[in-house]
Amino acid sequence: MSAYLRLAGVNKTFGSFTALGHIDLEVEKGEFVTFLGPSGSGKTTTLMVIAGFEQATKGEITVADQSLAHLAPQERNIGIVFQNYALFPHKTAAENVYFPLQMRKVGKKQGIRKAEEMLELVGLAGFAHRLPKELSGGQQQRVALARALVFEPDLLLLDEPLGALDKNLREQMQIEIKRIQKRLGVTTIFVTHDQTEAMSMSDRIVVFSNGAIEQAAAPLDIYHRPATRFVADFIGESNLLEATVTDAASGKAQSPVLGEVTCGAEGLPPLTDDQAVTLLIRPEHLKLSREPKEGRQNAQMVIETIVNYGDNAVVIGHVGDQQIRVRVPGADVVILKEGDSCHFSWTADAVFVLDK
Amino acid sequence: MNTLMRWIGIAVVIFIAAPLVIVVPMSFSTAASLQFPPPGYSWGYYQQFFSDPSWLRPAWNSIYIATMNTLLTMALVVPATFALVRHKFWGKSFANLMMMMPMAVPHIVMAVGYYSYFGELKLVHSKLGVVLAHTCLSVPITFLVLSANLKGFDLTLERAARSLGATPGQVFRHITLPILKPGLAISALFAFIQSFDETVVAIFISGRDAETLPRKMFDSIREEADPVIAVISTLLFAVVFAGLIVPSLIKGLRRMAGGTPSK
Repeated sequence: MSAYLRLAGVNKTFGSFTALGHIDLEVEKGEFVTFLGPSGSGKTTTLMVIAGFEQATKGEITVADQSLAHLAPQERNIGIVFQNYALFPHKTAAENVYFPLQMRKVGKKQGIRKAEEMLELVGLAGFAHRLPKELSGGQQQRVALARALVFEPDLLLLDEPLGALDKNLREQMQIEIKRIQKRLGVTTIFVTHDQTEAMSMSDRIVVFSNGAIEQAAAPLDIYHRPATRFVADFIGESNLLEATVTDAASGKAQSPVLGEVTCGAEGLPPLTDDQAVTLLIRPEHLKLSREPKEGRQNAQMVIETIVNYGDNAVVIGHVGDQQIRVRVPGADVVILKEGDSCHFSWTADAVFVLDK
Repeated sequence: MNTLMRWIGIAVVIFIAAPLVIVVPMSFSTAASLQFPPPGYSWGYYQQFFSDPSWLRPAWNSIYIATMNTLLTMALVVPATFALVRHKFWGKSFANLMMMMPMAVPHIVMAVGYYSYFGELKLVHSKLGVVLAHTCLSVPITFLVLSANLKGFDLTLERAARSLGATPGQVFRHITLPILKPGLAISALFAFIQSFDETVVAIFISGRDAETLPRKMFDSIREEADPVIAVISTLLFAVVFAGLIVPSLIKGLRRMAGGTPSK
C-alpha cells in the first residue's frame, strides 16, 4: 500500500526559531492518526502546515501523490474541527453545515437537505434551526464535525476538539468521533495533549517533542515499546532506572537501585555489553509484598505516599534517592501504611530497555 | 443605607433628565419666547418649523451633511481599522495616534484652523467643507467603536471558512461582514450623530449656504429665543428615543410571534 498523506522533510522556522525540525510521516487512507505531545511540541504547527494556514519552510506534503504546495487553504479539500469549534454565530446549525456546500455551488434546497442528513448522522436531528449560541458545548462540537465532513473531504483534521468539554462528555465524544470516522472511512488526524484520548481513539500515535517526531506507532506499541525515554515518560506512568548491561546474551543488567536485573520484555532492542541503558518498568507490572516473592525478582522500598483512585491506588516509595511507583488494586491499599518498608517484585518480561 | 443610595440615585437621574422634561412642554407653548411653565399649549411652533424655509433648509443641510460625513468616514475608517487592528507595519503606533488626534484637539482650535485653511481652498461656506471637517472629527469615535469590535472578532472563524472552501473575498462577504454588521451600524450611527450634533466648526465655516441646524439654533437662541428650538429639541429627542426603543420592540414582537430569527 502506498501512503495517502505524505510529509517529506517538512521544516518550519519562524525567524531563528525552529518550530518543526524535519518531519517525515506517512498516513494510510482511512487511518486515524493522533498527534500527541506537550504544548509547543510542533503538533499543531504540523496540522496548520497540512491545512495550508502556515507555509512549510522546506519539504513537501502530498495527498494521493498530489502536492499541496501551491494550493490555498480553500483549494485543499480538508475538513477541520477547531478547538473552539469556530461555528459561524450568525448562521443556524444547518446553515453552518451547508456553508461548505454553498461554497461548492450546491443549490440551497439540496444543500440544506444534505446538511440536515449530516446533522442526523452526528446525532443532532431536530437541532438544524438553532443558532450556535442556543446549543450546548457538545452539540456545537457535533455541528463542527458535521460541517467538516459534509463536503467529503480528503482529510479530516481535529485540533484538540475535546479540550473544552467536561470528562463524561469527552468520553462520549471520543466514542462518537471514532464511530463516525469509521463509518465514513475518512483519513483523520487528531491533535491532542491528552494521552488517554490518544490511546483510546487512534490506529496510530505520533509522539511529538521539540518540533520532531519521537515515535510513530500503534498505541500499545508506544506504551509497551517506547522508542525514547521521552516517550516512556510522557505516555503512561513509568519507573525509569539507570543501568549498565553486564551480559547482553542473557539480557542481564546491573542497576545501582535494583541490583542485577534480567530484561526480557517483548521487542527489546539489541544490547551490547557495558552499554549504559535506561530500564522501564510500568507501575502495574510491580507487585508489593511483606516478604520477597518466590520466582520473581525482588527489591525493597520504603512507602512514602499512597494515592488512592478508588478502584486502584499508586504507592510511591523510594529506594535510596530513586522513586518507585507501584500500581495496586484498591482493595490492597488498606493493609499498607506510609513509612512501612516492603518488598516489590517483577518478572523479566516486564523489564523493557531504552537507550540511555 | 440602601434606601439612601436609592434616593440619591433618583435625585441624580431627575437632575440630569430635567432639561428634557422642561423642553418638551415648552415646545407646545403659546408663549412668544422660551418660557417655563408655558402659559398655554398649542401645535403652533411645530407648524412654524415645518413651514418655515429658514428652519427647514438648515435641517436638510444637517441631514445631507451628516449622511455624506457618515459615508466618507466609513469609507476611510473601515479599511484603516482592518489595517491597524490586523496587521503589523512600520509606523503603526504613529498612525494610531493620528487617528485619535482630532479627539484630543479642542474643537475651537480645529475650527480656527479650518477657517483659515479652508478659506485658501475656497471651501468655507460650502457643504463640502463642512463634510470634510466633520469627517475628520468623526474618525476617532468611529475608529474606537469599530476597532473594539474587530479586536473581539475571532480569526479562527475566517480560517474555518477558508478550510471549508471560501476564497478570501467570500470569507469577507459571508462571514466577516455579517458578523461585524452590528459594530459597523453602531460606528456609522456615531459618525452621523457626531456630525449632526457638531456646532463649533459649523459656526465657523458653514456660512449661510451650508448652515446646519445646530448653527441655526445657536443663532436663534442668541437673537430671539424662538420656541421653535424647543420643537427641534423635542423632535431630536423623539428620534433618538425611537432609535433606542424600536429595535428591542421588534425583537420582542418577533419572539412573541414564536419564530427565532434565522438570518
